[in-house]
Amino acid sequence: MIPMNEVMSYEDWLAGRKQRRLTGMRIAPEIIRRPSSSSDRRLRRLYNGERGLPFTPTEKL
Amino acid sequence: MTAEAIQSALADITAETDPTLKHLKLASLVSAVFRERGIELVVVGGSAIEFYTEGAYTSGDIDLCVVSAAQSLTIRLRQEVMGLLKAQGGPRSWEVAGAYVDVLGAFENGARTPVRSIAAPYGVVKLSPVEELIVERVLISKYPQDYPPAAECAIKVIGAALRREIQVDWIEVKRIAGTVGYTNWREVNETIDEQAKALGQRSPYDSNE
Repeated sequence: MIPMNEVMSYEDWLAGRKQRRLTGMRIAPEIIRRPSSSSDRRLRRLYNGERGLPFTPTEKL
Repeated sequence: MTAEAIQSALADITAETDPTLKHLKLASLVSAVFRERGIELVVVGGSAIEFYTEGAYTSGDIDLCVVSAAQSLTIRLRQEVMGLLKAQGGPRSWEVAGAYVDVLGAFENGARTPVRSIAAPYGVVKLSPVEELIVERVLISKYPQDYPPAAECAIKVIGAALRREIQVDWIEVKRIAGTVGYTNWREVNETIDEQAKALGQRSPYDSNE
């Protein structure tokens, strides 16, 4: 759990990544990146026509 | 941080291919160099939600705001600090290590709960309080018109909170939704109730809880 009053360690945050992704997938599409925004031009220039790096597949988290 | 430590961090971040890790590490490095000047930054909006939810939401940029400052954050100071990171651009948006960093100004925060903190590789990263993010995303998803990406974002962060992957003060969520800045308690309550049902649990506002 990401705590309210303590600093979460990096290791604990990493360890929770897959479970957080799986929870989100139960109630919304796996990838919800916006198809466009006001930053499109600069993003597509930097990411070879995409708006960012591809997300890491859930099984590899 | 020494110049060598910054250079090593930049090499690591540039080589990072996982977008969420790349953004967390970059937020960590940027926060660290500003912190050395007495300026505390906080990750806001979709970038914060990505770190809370692993929601596959963010694009190639990170948004940060100034939560406190021991000195005025002038444009010269911004350029000087970001220059340590070999950043290009400015004065509020820079390209660094294969991503964009936006430092947007003062942090607008109506939550009474604390910013959350992750001890990331190059320094602590502070995240906008999840209570206000929930209320904010529900508002954006409905007003001025329906906006599905914000609705999906709201759903993911509410789901993570309901599953206790994030520690949330639900009383504070209700209070923020009732303030004049939002006045969207009905929509927030409905969204939380729907997601609780979808996850097979009870809403934190269920009167029998």
